[in-house]
Amino acid sequence: MSAIQLTLMIFGIMLVLMAVRVPIAVTMFIAGGIGYVAQAGWMPLSNFLNNQAYARFASYDLSVIPLFILMGHFATQGGISKALFNFAAGVMGRFKGGLAMAAVFACAAFGAICGSSVATAATITNVAYDEMRKHGYSGRLTTGTLAAGGTLGILIPPSVPLVIYAILTEQNIAKLFAAAMVPGIIAMVGYMLAIGIYVRLVPGHAPEKDNIANSSILSALNGIGPIAVIFVIVFGGIYAGYFTPTEGAAVGAFVTFIAALLKREMTVEKFKNCFYATAESSAMIFLIFLGADLMNASLALTQVPAQLAQLVGSWGLSPVMVVAAIMLFYVVLGAVMDELSMILLTIPIFFPMIMGLDFGMSKEYTAIWFGIMVLMTVGFGMLAPPVGLNVYVVNGMTKNKFDAVPIAESYRGVMPFLVADTIRAILVLMFPAISLYVLQFMK
Amino acid sequence: MAALEKLAKLCAILAGILMVFITIMTCASVIGRETIGKTIVGDFELSGAVAGAAIALFLPWCQVRRGNIIVDFFTHSASTSTQDKMERFGALLMALVMALMAWRTSLGGLNAWTTGSGTMMLGFPEWIVYLFMVPAFILAASIALHQCVFGFTPDAKEANPELAV
Repeated sequence: MSAIQLTLMIFGIMLVLMAVRVPIAVTMFIAGGIGYVAQAGWMPLSNFLNNQAYARFASYDLSVIPLFILMGHFATQGGISKALFNFAAGVMGRFKGGLAMAAVFACAAFGAICGSSVATAATITNVAYDEMRKHGYSGRLTTGTLAAGGTLGILIPPSVPLVIYAILTEQNIAKLFAAAMVPGIIAMVGYMLAIGIYVRLVPGHAPEKDNIANSSILSALNGIGPIAVIFVIVFGGIYAGYFTPTEGAAVGAFVTFIAALLKREMTVEKFKNCFYATAESSAMIFLIFLGADLMNASLALTQVPAQLAQLVGSWGLSPVMVVAAIMLFYVVLGAVMDELSMILLTIPIFFPMIMGLDFGMSKEYTAIWFGIMVLMTVGFGMLAPPVGLNVYVVNGMTKNKFDAVPIAESYRGVMPFLVADTIRAILVLMFPAISLYVLQFMK
Repeated sequence: MAALEKLAKLCAILAGILMVFITIMTCASVIGRETIGKTIVGDFELSGAVAGAAIALFLPWCQVRRGNIIVDFFTHSASTSTQDKMERFGALLMALVMALMAWRTSLGGLNAWTTGSGTMMLGFPEWIVYLFMVPAFILAASIALHQCVFGFTPDAKEANPELAV
């Protein structure tokens, strides 16, 4: 079999299994395993597997993932979100569509201590949905806002997908986080603008006025205080050089737990739930790691990814066009796949391709900028139909409350935000300095 | 299944405690380093090793909850019973993969035991981590096999996408 045929076979097996509802991690594992045996035989594969679990699971660098997840779940269960939303509502309530803007702000702030998009959407939905509907916001705008707001959870550091990108491409996690900061803030402002424009263009989705009392200083302290303190401790510590990102995650999990205790929201039951939830998310991610490892090892043996990188390099395309094409590919792939599988599966193929092109900046900056582009594009996949995970989750949480929101309405609701996403992606694509500018202030 | 589920919960709690251990140890080490200039020796490698055991112990509960992501795109209009059959087939493949990992990891563990390999600074024996991993893989394989043969428990059927990243 030629290398190309082998590669097609490996992908074919993976896709067929995927199509019949086999877990994605397993499809990659099996397709990769078969490809490996076909090329190298059973003995090398079995030797590879002997130490595979240890190599992947018992890694200091990767332990940052479950730690950030644990921190996020402490924040989710810890009752930090309610005061945060109330504070934001008090500040934004004076604008038309203010409560929706407040939900976006709450998502962004919560995203500063939570590295997951779905968890952010779900947490803020819990505290904001009823409030928004009570004030007369339509189901479409409410669910759309909350689903879109969730993607701020991965854009604003910490961010689990970005950590995975950093590990795959051996880039500095702290620098990637910093580079995501400004695009994250632009995203938040963009979403607020999208709301402001939408409620004026399309009447009937938001009340004329929200009638919410302005926030007092006390409620501000209570609302934003814990998150600000945690954020400053974790990221201040990382950027001032007091600790590594992994240590930062551990410290973050610890102080978030303390904050939850101080809120008097933590019970033994909730504490256990944090463990169960961390178990589920972490195991899901690390199984995908195992599968993707095998898949990538087997693809690397065919040498097709390396040849592909050379081939694309030899075409002499404009580098920005190549990135744009990859982004489009992600948007399409995002319709069927989750973002982590997508990153783990495609980055080993696309990354060498990108690094072989000349963008007129250093290799490190190219790698970081590409990471931010990837991150923004997978966020798109979490909102866009037919399967936007965030939209599903938020829509699912609204059942039995007020009038049920049809899923099609929710997808209509995310459209203004997808427009904002697209504009932002094009901006960062054309002007990498938007994301890279802050890096020069780092040691 | 009730017994398997209980064991899986136990594993998840144990793993959670291990994660808490990492956070406390790391905080102590960071504070020590920044105040009295002393760290806990080998805290990095101990974190890695402990996380290795914890992540393996997370697997069975994820399988109980069916937390592993599947692609719904091509079959979302299929009947519930067809979907169920496919997912049971998926559980079978999962059981095979987990069993394979249990087998190979136990050989890896035996090898670590005989060669006495340990971490760089502390010499923390690697086989201890394998000792946590193998039973976790076996338990995850048993749960998946049970799901394949007897179907999914209704509790777990209620997917909990809130927990996804």
